Amino acid sequence: MGIDRVESSDAELVRRVRTGDIGAYGVLVSRYRDRLGRYAIHMIGDREDAEEALQDSFVRAYRSLARCDDPARFGAWLYGILVNRCRTTGARAARRRRMFVRDADAMHGATHADQSERLEWTDAVDRALARLAPQYREAFLLKHVEDLEYDEIAELTGAGVSALKMRVKRAREQLQRYLREAEHV
Amino acid sequence: MILAVLLIVAQIGAQDPRLDRLDPDTRAQVTVVVDSARRVGLPAEPLIQRALEGATKGAPGPRIVTAVRRLSTDLGTARAALGDEASAPELEAGVAALRAGATPQVHGVRRPPLTMALSVLADLVASGVPADSAAAAVLALAPKARDADLVEFRRTVERDIALGAPPAAATSTRVNAGAVDIYSAGSNPGPARPRRP
Amino acid sequence: MFEQEDDIVERVIQQLRRPVAIDPAMDARVMQAITAPRPSQRRVWPWLAAAALLGAVMFWRPWSRGSDAERPDILQFVLVAPHANSVSLVGDFNDWDPKRSPMRTANGIWATVVQLAPGRYRYAFLVNGVEWRADPGAPTALDDEFGTPSSVVTVGGKGS
Repeated sequence: MGIDRVESSDAELVRRVRTGDIGAYGVLVSRYRDRLGRYAIHMIGDREDAEEALQDSFVRAYRSLARCDDPARFGAWLYGILVNRCRTTGARAARRRRMFVRDADAMHGATHADQSERLEWTDAVDRALARLAPQYREAFLLKHVEDLEYDEIAELTGAGVSALKMRVKRAREQLQRYLREAEHV
Repeated sequence: MILAVLLIVAQIGAQDPRLDRLDPDTRAQVTVVVDSARRVGLPAEPLIQRALEGATKGAPGPRIVTAVRRLSTDLGTARAALGDEASAPELEAGVAALRAGATPQVHGVRRPPLTMALSVLADLVASGVPADSAAAAVLALAPKARDADLVEFRRTVERDIALGAPPAAATSTRVNAGAVDIYSAGSNPGPARPRRP
Repeated sequence: MFEQEDDIVERVIQQLRRPVAIDPAMDARVMQAITAPRPSQRRVWPWLAAAALLGAVMFWRPWSRGSDAERPDILQFVLVAPHANSVSLVGDFNDWDPKRSPMRTANGIWATVVQLAPGRYRYAFLVNGVEWRADPGAPTALDDEFGTPSSVVTVGGKGS
């Protein structure tokens, strides 16, 4: 579906969708799926909720495509929709508890120490991230993981640049603290 | 009890009209297998479905009969491993697990109902995970994980494999990490959108 | 082991920047959602009635009380087949009868929704009445006794 032989730009694809080529939207979805998915998963902390938010965002973006003022910046515009959508999921995800089940005795076969350690670190990072206030987490992810510029983030979130810089700074401080605690357990 | 016996007797010999799709010879042989299975209390529906699958796919009669007989035998083996209380879904999943190479000891997982646990075991093997790694993983997780968690575990392992991890390693590291989302009892199961296989 | 403050944050960033793999079937789901006719394009009142009924059922949820022992599941099956003229879903849940679950299409995405009681079901897609395809997004069936690919879907529970 929507196989593109020549790499089309976002602007070109948006133009085609607007003239009725729905399949071109499929190419945009493929193009942004994993990258936006990464943000959604880290922001929401639950894969199923994240994939639902992502899917919703893609559908909403399609339906409001007429309101995308600058098709060349479709990606940033799409981020905005996703960021807003992730905000509404936060409350639901908070109801779920995350329990860690360790039952190493039941395991047969080779253990892979390096990979185990890496997954311990991954879990520690996830837990620390989950402890951040949503606004701090959001700003931190958009700036340092998704590489957006402060003025782009300001446009997406409606916050001022200096407020955003403060949030990112707080996020960094708190992450350091939580991970230091984790290392001393 | 007597009523149940009478009902069973009445069923034997009454042909399932769906089997009319088979040629007469095949139908007769399949009916014999189905009736025998019913007599010993094994579920007939999986056997009928296997015959219908063969019919739709245009398979030769003898191959259909062989497949139905093999399934009937395996259902019996699954029931011997799982116990007489096992339900039809559990037996079907048990057959899949057995055919994947799990030994009957695996069926000693203490977690009724066993349907999803055994199914996930078989599915992991189908993805390339060695049977003993898959069995160990399911044994480790099944007692505490719910069905949705087992499905999520399977999908996570499949993704890791698709991204290049060796299947046994992918399974063991996911189990060792041990992170399983457990929904607190009584919480809202979430929006009712249809799920995917 | 003392670590510079910034180093920890940098390690966190490197960890979080690692790519994640989102289910590729999402593409098909999105396309299916955007090509389904909007409710506003049909007469409104039967949909309000259906929505009210569905809302009542969803609230009451007779099948979801307590454990996951008895609950039927609603499954969506999707196949991307832009050049197909017809696609049927066939499996252990519909007697392998191609006429029972024909799939609907928009823009090459074929889909249908089925409600299943607990059990393990083999199934496949029949394209144009002749070509068998397994479901790329589902576990493979181990048995291939009839020489064609099949997939498996499982609904947990004891069943009745």
